[in-house]
Amino acid sequence: MPASVVFDSLVRSIQVGSLYALMALGLTLTLAVVRLPNFAHAELITVGGYVALLSSLWLTHSLFVILGLAFIGSALVAWLMHRAVYRPLARRNLSTYGMLLASFSVGLILRYIIFLLVDRYGLFDKHIAVPVEIWYRTPDVILTNLFFWSVPTAVALMIVLSLVLRGTSLGRQMRALADNGILARVTGIPVDQVHDLTWLVVGGLAGVGGALWGMYTSLNPLTGWLTILSVFAASVLGGMTSFTGTILGAYVVSFSENLLMQWLNFRFGLDFTFKAAVPFVIIILVLLLRPAGLTGFAGSLRKLSRR
Amino acid sequence: MNIDYVATALALLTVFGISALMALSLNLEYGVAGVPNFGQAMFVSIGAYTAGVTYTRLLPWLGGRAGLDPCGDTLTKALALRTELTTLFPTVGFLNFGLTVLIALLLGGLAGYLASYAALRVWEEWYLGLILLVGSEVVRILAQGYPPLLCGSNGLSGIGQPFVWVHNATWSAALFALLALLLAGAAYLLCERLVRSPYGRLLKAIRENDRVTLGLGKPVQRRRAQVMAIGSAIAALSGVLFAVNLGFVSTNDYTVALTLDVWVMVVLGGVGNGRGALLGALIVTVLNRLTAIAAIALNAMGSQFEFNYVRYILFAAILLLMLRYRRQGLLPERARTTIAHDELRP
Amino acid sequence: MTDLLALHDVRKSFERLRAVNEVSLGVAAGQIVGLIGPNGSGKSTLFNVIAGGARADAGRIVFDGHDITAQPADEICRLGLARSYQDPALFFRMTVLDNMLLPAKGQRGEQPARAPWHGLWRRQEQALAAQANAQLNQVELRGHYARLASDLSGGQMKLLELGRSLMGQPKMLLLDEPTAGVAPKLARLIFEQIAGLRAAQGLTFLIIEHRLEVLFDFVDDIYVMSAGAVIAHGPPAAIAANAHVREIYFGD
Repeated sequence: MPASVVFDSLVRSIQVGSLYALMALGLTLTLAVVRLPNFAHAELITVGGYVALLSSLWLTHSLFVILGLAFIGSALVAWLMHRAVYRPLARRNLSTYGMLLASFSVGLILRYIIFLLVDRYGLFDKHIAVPVEIWYRTPDVILTNLFFWSVPTAVALMIVLSLVLRGTSLGRQMRALADNGILARVTGIPVDQVHDLTWLVVGGLAGVGGALWGMYTSLNPLTGWLTILSVFAASVLGGMTSFTGTILGAYVVSFSENLLMQWLNFRFGLDFTFKAAVPFVIIILVLLLRPAGLTGFAGSLRKLSRR
Repeated sequence: MNIDYVATALALLTVFGISALMALSLNLEYGVAGVPNFGQAMFVSIGAYTAGVTYTRLLPWLGGRAGLDPCGDTLTKALALRTELTTLFPTVGFLNFGLTVLIALLLGGLAGYLASYAALRVWEEWYLGLILLVGSEVVRILAQGYPPLLCGSNGLSGIGQPFVWVHNATWSAALFALLALLLAGAAYLLCERLVRSPYGRLLKAIRENDRVTLGLGKPVQRRRAQVMAIGSAIAALSGVLFAVNLGFVSTNDYTVALTLDVWVMVVLGGVGNGRGALLGALIVTVLNRLTAIAAIALNAMGSQFEFNYVRYILFAAILLLMLRYRRQGLLPERARTTIAHDELRP
Repeated sequence: MTDLLALHDVRKSFERLRAVNEVSLGVAAGQIVGLIGPNGSGKSTLFNVIAGGARADAGRIVFDGHDITAQPADEICRLGLARSYQDPALFFRMTVLDNMLLPAKGQRGEQPARAPWHGLWRRQEQALAAQANAQLNQVELRGHYARLASDLSGGQMKLLELGRSLMGQPKMLLLDEPTAGVAPKLARLIFEQIAGLRAAQGLTFLIIEHRLEVLFDFVDDIYVMSAGAVIAHGPPAAIAANAHVREIYFGD
């Protein structure tokens, strides 16, 4: 394969992987701490993207402020989802399938509200208006300021999250809930409070992910839905409970979708339409062959004691 | 606004019959046996794709004509051939339809049987739902990416329903509607008889606690695989009817949206209740038609409002309301199963 | 006389915890044997391993001449070894009668090919219903046959579970705390039922119990477990007099 294609794929893999990691960590937190498979996570990403878009159109060009607003916007939506839908249903002991259906429904409602608004105000397929500058160029590869913004921001947030989980009391409480929810409740951990804060964090991470995504490709109401499968795949690779596993998984997914697909196309002529199948194939393979994910139980937010 | 009431009614009845089959299938698999089939679209699509293949390759052969490549250069000729055979030669059309149904039932049943084995490998309960959902999308993408099957994303047209040769359009539609309703009725009877038997009792036990059921000496996986086979065969049958009703087979019709529609039917109508499944299918069919009419009416009045978006929001909201306020559905499940209960009546 | 159920050096570990440590025991046909020990001593785990819910890491388990060490749970049940659970493992969304009828073996109506044709299994179902009727009468639950199992009281649930486990016509029953959470008078009644079944049908029992005062009146033999191992074995009188046993139970 020509060097420029390789480098281009590599750059894309790293960039996309970082964003997937950001979005997937939120999903992993939801699964481990709140024990909810949240299919509406996709919409948290989309909301973040659109908050960023609107901020960039009406308020400011400062990247920092835009990302901050995206964080807050999605965090609020996530918290509302929890209070208005998930918590009442969980209080009535709805089965996990019921919660899955509920999260699907919430996602659909959000998605089509966004569709209606976007349709009304003509905001389809917009890029977030941040001036793009080329910061590094060689004959083989072009790196823009977006690359140098998205990757470090994503990594920085991952580090912050890691510190929060390990160092703060909130983080410890989250981990306790992930480990053994019943025991945690009994030992006096303020479960409701931890859940509230967890949702805020989850929403925030997804929102920033969505905002960065909207700078990288154009934004539309299906943006979240189109990335959610890759994000889920990353989380699944992390055994749905492991912090490091999720991050690793995110890069595995992005590299499979980009570099690997490039190679398969080049070597075997495999059509790019199959790129969409990559996250699905990963999910099925992991769930059927190694449900504990890449890292097994090491690094789990929760120690699985079944079977 | 000019509405052809008869045509609309017939169309509604047909779609109701097809939807009823889908709802009965999911009701049997999830409502009774507890298998969360979030991949319903896949099993329905098996029936549809079978129709796609038989109408393009089997039909010409049955009609004694040379088969043409349905995609590529001979596309229009192949389409003309199909249309000619289905509209002019009823016996050939019926034969093809009958064979399509048989093959679809077999393939659908086999797929369901195999898919049930995913239940053995799951760590948490909902992983099964996720696997089936994801598997359904993989199949769709693969079918789309394998051109010889359905001509890629273009789809195949000219898949006529078995009564398309009837000159009177109303009679043609009426006969097909009748067929759809009869098949739905047969499926309903089958499901009811299954549920009111020891097999139904065993499925409910598996639904509630498969570990304990195994400990009571029952071959849990075999029975689960069997119910998936039956349910998926019914779903595949609905797929055949769906495709020939539309006259068109394309992978775009069998997405997660279809799976969701069927779940709404079952959750709304009543989980574990056959009549509930029928009721849910009826309500969803009517709602779909009403929103479609409303969308057309609004557009005719010059509004740019996309009513389709509202349809999704409406369905999702219904689902949430049911989950919140009446999760057993409109018609709750009957607890007692077999006639044994009548034996003990004082 | 060979034992109906025999365990040889059975071991089961979870990660680093040795839950069952080289346990050997034997139950002869027609015996009622007790299995006692403080909480966490591995009794329920042992039951789980015997009944096929978990696979033993080492050792051998023989039931009625068959090696069941690696057999799956449904096969073990079909061979005639039934179990009950600490928390009543009833089907709460089903009626009392359905709960009773489910364990019956060889039901033709359970095969999907036969199920839709009611005539093929109606006669058998009626016979089973009569059997269930008799069984329900025995545990005084006949009037509740159409109620959901979830509507029963705790004691009634325990009785239902006992009655249900008999419908499969087992040769031996593993009972895990059959009187847990039940009033003392009912506890005694349950044990009287057990003794009656042994006398009338020659059923064999291995019972985990904490209610020592009741248990000691009805069993032929007792095994005592502590921290995964069998530390004492003998008739009730000997165990009651065993100082070591008293120590681990009451910390004397």
